[in-house]
Amino acid sequence: MPPAPRIRIDLSSPVPAYRQIVDCVRVLLVEGALTPGSQLPSVRRLAMELGVHHNTVGEAYRELAGEGWLDLRHGRGATVVSRGAVPSASPERLQDYRNRLRNLIAKMRSEGVPLAKIAAELRSLTEGLK
Amino acid sequence: MMNSDFLIALPFLAFSGALMFLVPQFSPRRYFFAITVPAGFRSGNEARAIARRYHWEMAIIVACCAALAALLSNRWPDLTVMMAVLLPLLSGFVLFLMARSKVKLHAAAISDVREAELTVEGDELPRWTVWALPPFAAPVAAAAYLARHWNQIPQKFPTHFDLQGNANGWSTRSPQSVYGLLALAAGIMAFILLIGVGMYYGARRAPQRAAVLKMLIVTIYFLALIFTQVGLLPLVQISTLWILVLGVAFSIVIVAWSFKLVTDPRMPSEVTPDEYWYLGAIYCNRHDPAIFVQKRVGFGYTLNVGNNLTWLLVGGFVAGMIGLVSLAK
Repeated sequence: MPPAPRIRIDLSSPVPAYRQIVDCVRVLLVEGALTPGSQLPSVRRLAMELGVHHNTVGEAYRELAGEGWLDLRHGRGATVVSRGAVPSASPERLQDYRNRLRNLIAKMRSEGVPLAKIAAELRSLTEGLK
Repeated sequence: MMNSDFLIALPFLAFSGALMFLVPQFSPRRYFFAITVPAGFRSGNEARAIARRYHWEMAIIVACCAALAALLSNRWPDLTVMMAVLLPLLSGFVLFLMARSKVKLHAAAISDVREAELTVEGDELPRWTVWALPPFAAPVAAAAYLARHWNQIPQKFPTHFDLQGNANGWSTRSPQSVYGLLALAAGIMAFILLIGVGMYYGARRAPQRAAVLKMLIVTIYFLALIFTQVGLLPLVQISTLWILVLGVAFSIVIVAWSFKLVTDPRMPSEVTPDEYWYLGAIYCNRHDPAIFVQKRVGFGYTLNVGNNLTWLLVGGFVAGMIGLVSLAK
């Protein structure tokens, strides 16, 4: 049986805990580690495991449900659902993502990461995504 | 100077003393005197010096307690047994705090990274938890036996014995005096089961949860055995010494089992910040949603008294115990 997907957050990070949870879970969803039908831990259970307030997990689950990833039913936890057709991102959004990627690549280059390595990393991360 | 009361107090003293003596070893590798320490610290010179001093001081305390017990046992035998258990524990606790203050200077920083598995596997109670139910038949069977032989129960029967096994307390035959202890036994066993279930749902996922639940179920079996025998006192004479021996033997088994588990490298230890631990044993962290957290000394769980839900549970427990004791009286 394959190991269950894991998420990792840093309580001392300036990024809010709920944002870290959303980002981690979204990566697993996009990469296919969490598939439609997968049951996520209850809000209370995940809050306990991560050592955060249950409102933090609740907010993260609600945001992911708003994006169409999760089905939240009181007393039944969170279930991953099939998203169906997703409208393309707007040109403004695309420009925003381009700027962020540009900043990230610039930071990596300034820390001495070779261009070929950056390209290989981007390629390997996008290959295998559904 | 040596009399039978002193000889009875001696094993209790030895047990208490041994327990406190083992404190430095009786915790997961990442902790030393309930402080988070760097990897390898415990096998270093600094840690060994602290442990060595603690052991010497503890040995002196136990020797003094033995001398005191020998002096007092003639005049106050019951007090001697109580002292034999409590004095090593209390003095050992003071020594523990002194050693802990020295270890604090070498405390390791704790990571703020937290991980969790995104699964619901293992969140439900294990199926073998149902094995906690059969022992409840014992007090029920004992009560049925007493009911069947009601007329054979003496009007006045012994209910308390001294250390020599001589009766020094009696009750008159009534439903409360005959069945009260068995009702109390069933109530205590139910509480232990509830604590186990509460711990399973109120603690973070870890192999320790299942191990503690098993230990609690074994305890329920032991209590069923002891309480049923004592509950049959109105009709059946039992040896006080046998009960004491059983109690000590069971305690030794539990301690040995706990020691084996706490030193097992396959048992991961939970990350909890040092600043929320008080006196090495009390955890108070209102930011932590867990109700139960792993102990830093010994094996098992302790309550997070900073969590409001904990107080709700404690209140329920206290109310329940008061109700049970009132029922038994």
